[in-house]
Amino acid sequence: MKPVLVIGGGMSGVTTTVEIAEVGKDVILIEKNPYLGGNVVKFNNYFPKLCPPTCGLEINFRRIKQNSRIKYYTSTEIQEISGEKGNFKVKLKTAPQYVKNNCTACGKCLDVCPEERPDKFNYGFTKTKAIYLPHEMAFPYKFNIDDEYCKKESCNKCVEVCEYDAINLSAKEEIIDIEVSSVVVATGWKNYDASKIDNLNYSTSKNIITNVEFERFITSNGVGENKLLRPSDNSEPKKLAFVQCAGSRDENHLPYCSAVCCSASLKHALTIQELYPKSEIKIFYIDMRVTGRNEDFLIKVQDNKNIGLVKGKVGKITETESNNLILEAEDILSGKKMNYKAEMVVLATGIVPSDISINLNKDQNNFITDLQTDGIYPVACSRKPMDVSSSVKDATAAALKAIQIK
Amino acid sequence: MDKKVGVYICSGCEIGKSIDIEKLNQVASSEQNISICKNHSSLCSVEGVDLINNDIASENLNRVIIAACSPRAKTEVFDFPEDVILERANLREQVAWCYEPENEDTQMAAEDYLRMAVTKVNNIDVPKPFIAESISSEILVVGGGITGITSAIEGAKAGYTVHIVEKEERLGGWLNKLHKQIPYTVPYNTLIDPEIEEKIKELEQFENIKIHISTTINKIDGQPGQFEVFLNNGKEEKITVGSIVTSTGWKPYDASKLSHLGYGIPNVLTNVEFEDLVKNNPDKELPKNILFIQCAGSRDKDHLPYCSSFCCGTSLKQAKYIRDLSPESNVFVVYKDIRTLGLYEEFYKEVQKDDQIFFTKGEIEEITENDNDIKVNVKDTLLGENISLSVDMIVLATGMVPNGTEDLNLNYRLGKGLPELKYNFSDSHFICFPYETRRTGIYAAGSLRAPMDIASSKEDATGAMLKAIQTIEATKRGEAVHPRSGDKSYPELYLDRCTDCKRCTEECPFGAYDENEKGTPIQNPNRCRRCGICVGSCPERVISFADYSINSVSAMIKSVEIPDEFEEKPRILVFVCENDAYPAFDMAGQKGLKYSPYIRVIPVRCIGSVNKVWISDALSQGFDGILQIGCKPGDDYQCHFIHGSELTETRGENLQETLETMMLEPERIRTEFVEITDYHKIPDIINDYVEEIELIGPNPFKDM
Amino acid sequence: MIEVSPDIKFKKQLKRISNSSLNECMQCGTCSVVCSLAPDERPFPRKEMIWAGWGMKDKLIGNPDIWLCHQCGDCSTYCPRGVKPADVLSAVREISYQHYAKPKFLGKILNDPKWFPVAILIPVIIISAILIMAGTFQIPEGPVNYSKFFPHAWLNSSFSFLWFLTIGLGILGLRNFRNDMKKQDPDLKPTGSFIKNLFSIRKEIILHSNFSTCTAQKTRKIAHFLVFYGFILLLFVTTFAIYAAVTHNYPLEFKNPFKIIGNIAAIMLFVGLGIMIANRIFNKKDFGNSTYNDWLFLVSLFLLTVSGVIVEAARFINWGLAYHLYFFHLVCVWFVIIYLPYTKFGHLLFRVVAMVYAASINRKLK
Repeated sequence: MKPVLVIGGGMSGVTTTVEIAEVGKDVILIEKNPYLGGNVVKFNNYFPKLCPPTCGLEINFRRIKQNSRIKYYTSTEIQEISGEKGNFKVKLKTAPQYVKNNCTACGKCLDVCPEERPDKFNYGFTKTKAIYLPHEMAFPYKFNIDDEYCKKESCNKCVEVCEYDAINLSAKEEIIDIEVSSVVVATGWKNYDASKIDNLNYSTSKNIITNVEFERFITSNGVGENKLLRPSDNSEPKKLAFVQCAGSRDENHLPYCSAVCCSASLKHALTIQELYPKSEIKIFYIDMRVTGRNEDFLIKVQDNKNIGLVKGKVGKITETESNNLILEAEDILSGKKMNYKAEMVVLATGIVPSDISINLNKDQNNFITDLQTDGIYPVACSRKPMDVSSSVKDATAAALKAIQIK
Repeated sequence: MDKKVGVYICSGCEIGKSIDIEKLNQVASSEQNISICKNHSSLCSVEGVDLINNDIASENLNRVIIAACSPRAKTEVFDFPEDVILERANLREQVAWCYEPENEDTQMAAEDYLRMAVTKVNNIDVPKPFIAESISSEILVVGGGITGITSAIEGAKAGYTVHIVEKEERLGGWLNKLHKQIPYTVPYNTLIDPEIEEKIKELEQFENIKIHISTTINKIDGQPGQFEVFLNNGKEEKITVGSIVTSTGWKPYDASKLSHLGYGIPNVLTNVEFEDLVKNNPDKELPKNILFIQCAGSRDKDHLPYCSSFCCGTSLKQAKYIRDLSPESNVFVVYKDIRTLGLYEEFYKEVQKDDQIFFTKGEIEEITENDNDIKVNVKDTLLGENISLSVDMIVLATGMVPNGTEDLNLNYRLGKGLPELKYNFSDSHFICFPYETRRTGIYAAGSLRAPMDIASSKEDATGAMLKAIQTIEATKRGEAVHPRSGDKSYPELYLDRCTDCKRCTEECPFGAYDENEKGTPIQNPNRCRRCGICVGSCPERVISFADYSINSVSAMIKSVEIPDEFEEKPRILVFVCENDAYPAFDMAGQKGLKYSPYIRVIPVRCIGSVNKVWISDALSQGFDGILQIGCKPGDDYQCHFIHGSELTETRGENLQETLETMMLEPERIRTEFVEITDYHKIPDIINDYVEEIELIGPNPFKDM
Repeated sequence: MIEVSPDIKFKKQLKRISNSSLNECMQCGTCSVVCSLAPDERPFPRKEMIWAGWGMKDKLIGNPDIWLCHQCGDCSTYCPRGVKPADVLSAVREISYQHYAKPKFLGKILNDPKWFPVAILIPVIIISAILIMAGTFQIPEGPVNYSKFFPHAWLNSSFSFLWFLTIGLGILGLRNFRNDMKKQDPDLKPTGSFIKNLFSIRKEIILHSNFSTCTAQKTRKIAHFLVFYGFILLLFVTTFAIYAAVTHNYPLEFKNPFKIIGNIAAIMLFVGLGIMIANRIFNKKDFGNSTYNDWLFLVSLFLLTVSGVIVEAARFINWGLAYHLYFFHLVCVWFVIIYLPYTKFGHLLFRVVAMVYAASINRKLK
């Protein structure tokens, strides 16, 4: 029987993959990044447990490593698909693998590489060498070379220093043809481009960052390394504000609710309080959308005297000379406009479905609809906004759909 | 079978520069009497792996020790035949990268890790899987609501035989009572007719679905692959299934407790009663002014503290059909927050479009019954002041209470149903693993697990069915399911020495053990998740795995060379949970963080699997202190085996008392909890403890 | 505590006039924040939007905030639900003209296109009647001399009388408006006299300072400034003309300073109105919805200006159609001046009254 193809190696794709393989079917997983784990691997923690995503990923990676039924290709995207359920012909494209799989991640090359690149893993707030380990828990655990910044053979320093002959600077793109029985599309999401929300001044004020960027600011292996440092002057902000629905529930931007941002901001606020118990935080929201038992999580925030929840959307943010920020909102329950001065502002930007190069049926917001050719199943955030737990649930369901195709 | 060991020491990745490989060779060959001991500059290279494979073939090796990088690295490269035991001595991340190179202490650590590895492989065996003689591939679905029906259909489509059991005489559950359903696909603008008839018809078409209506369950015996289910539909009928999906659903919150919201006044109904009213009297004229009170009993510390998730959508739906049925009606909705997450926002907007549906946030202050109407005072509104509404009918958006799983009547030592989390939901505690279950092979789905709506329940039903199928397939292979997926070992009990103390049966988080009348454990290997908590629980040390035993770890402890007290080199044994703490140690090394070389790390399956005897062995061996590092316990526990860390905490307290009776300082045992990302804390945890032990002084049992 | 019983008819009227769906408002308050005028206390237009959604006519009609809005449209631009608060407020103003109109029917016929023929027949008939009474209801012979057609004494006295009459009626309506405003929040005690409070807002009126904060449309201030001062100048010139006519020194010479001022004013009006009309036609997105009420006022003022200039030119060139145009011009004058309290021109009165009231309760704009 032909294997199942899973497109996207984020939390959902990885889940579908291991769940199928553990039933006893073959799976091919492809991921466009050089590492698995998608968005969540960049996160500091999950709501409402405030536990690190790498904890669950570690287990899932172990499940992948130990299971011979799983084949995975990183830096790989789907190029073409044809055929029908039970018999899809798929063309995959793998970006040049300048660092081969026999890399031991010893790190010698780092000492000699003269080029720097913005670290995409930290949204460009830090730099790495042109040859780099995507992050310390990267799976697969090997180095990678950034095409854009590496000077290749004209430099060749890494090749000279590598004791394992693991670098091939003339590597070429590869095309892989596979045949699969069904396809699970787990291409996931990216966050909304906050620079489009002109009244919130994201592009012009350094100390306004997005919620996904903020994950890298509070995580121990991120921008500030155990300290929360604001971008303008690396000082530790003591007054922060969260702007909910930054782009979501907005006909000018994303007309839908992104489902996770309320909980995410509550999580961020509590995490800041753990790091800096005296900090003062305000969260500006329209409706506090935290469902089910996560209500407890909301109550935990409400009980924290240093975190204020303000019903009212932020309409304007202005920067002061000292790079502080003044947020304006109507505190709707008191019917008064308020100005809140914060040292750092986090925009709770929403979920936008990631692009995929093959032709699938999408809704007006680019979410992949359930109406596809038989044998192709969109999953999790590629089909609608949802949180991690729901995504994993959906990914497990997709695993069953995929193995129903013989 | 003879134990034939090969030791392979890698000098790559700074190991060779940090450690004297020649001396390591001597430890292996002269001290440990290993005949095959080879070095290579990069064992993970093709040549390196070939070297080992050739030896396996030519020398009939059945035990291979790779002294190189962490077992977490290059796992796929070091892939040898199944009957070869592979042990990885972590000389890279946990020696060369975190200790001073060419240093006496570094060398001692490396040598000890090699000794421990050799000792371990000599004391363990390849696990033989437990494969029961007959394993059923049929699946039981308990509860015939939309979740159960979906689950059964999806399982049947995958080719499995499914039994669906419903205690009522009709399948369909709550959906039978619906007038309309909320749309769950784009464009989210029209209510859909109840889909239950169609679903039941679809279900009935599958030959491999056996429907048991008006049926309850008298008892479920056995284990995954072999559950014996005693059905009762007037007479008892026994079926055997491999796994179970339970979807017994929910009941509405008891509205009689909501008199403060007017329940009891005529024309004050719950959302369920209102749905019923409209469904059964479609031509009945609805009154002019109708008020919906959201969170009636939900998000309320005196009632249901949680959000019931479905009520916002349901009220929007009901408001919409009221307006379709009765163009004169005014509908008011008083809410706390409108929670139409994700694409349901489109449905909210659609309902908002109606001119005669009025929304405000607010709190109900007072409800009074008048002759002709009901007067409702609302405070904290969006209208700038308190308002008073005169309405003819009130619909209370009451919440969801899970039905529980007691009806499964599991014949388990630990109870008839699934363990419940807060507020009685049989949910997983894990965000990454929503189908984590504490009763292997039995998966909860739908609003039993968490408050959820129809669309979400259907997704959940499908996911739970996959897990049920997976359990059957894993059981056929004799393998564990998540989180130790693929593990073929299982606990072996030497019951001759068992004192029937019942600790294993009580402490097993998965209810793998039942008991006979005497209290002797009865093993159900297929329920087991291989965490080893029973290994840790047994005071008589009768429980072991083939590849993880009381003896093997004891022997490893004893293999460590303890310098005498005059050398002033304390030794601290560190039991480290392999799931989170061990990777944290690896990452600390990777980051070049330095910590004391006086520790010796032994990874364990779960910190709860640490047996007391290992501690006493360590102390009598001369270790000066013992550190146990596990995952976080507590309400937000991160222990993958539920209460391993918690058990360690309580056992730790008892152990400290024992130490005092032995005239040892209680500080010689310490328990710490870390997250996988806490690698930066590792040096402090280690160094602080080493310092403390140095202050206390050497273990008096040293050299005894 | 207020008893709420939605006025569905009012809500539907509001929806129709504003062309806003109104209902999808989710009360986020973005509008109140992006509004550069809304005060910190009880800002607008968020609260107005929920009152509109709930059909609370009393809350909206007697609400000074409705008139403190200068309709820059920022709220509509940034509204995440696209419910156009600016247009909703504008619609409330339109409904206010009708609500406070005395007599009611004038309010009705001037705000509903289907009554337009009646609105136009009234001045045609009355002017004709006056001309008949004056005995000059015919085209005079010889060089163009408008006083031969409509003797100055007849013109000045009749138009002044009618103007004073409607303004007087308008003031009665405004008194109701003022009382309604007071009723909104009985706790607020207005202080100071009308004149004193009017004086306190002089800067806003003279300098149009509230227009400057508008970020969405920069040209609005210039246009309104031109029209506002152009009209005041014309009013001034007309007053002088009446005086001149009384002292038998009319029509004025082309080079007469008053005539020059008058022509400059006409140019100001022409340019200002041109910008306004162009904005409404070509930039609907930023300028919001244009209603009949908007167009009736803009077009009549524009035609008044254009016909005034042509009538003046016709006199110099002795154009044969001069008197017909003059009649038309007078109808335009009627629409602008005599209908003032019932058309959008009434904002002049309502806005001043609302601003004075706001000043009296110390409600300050940003």
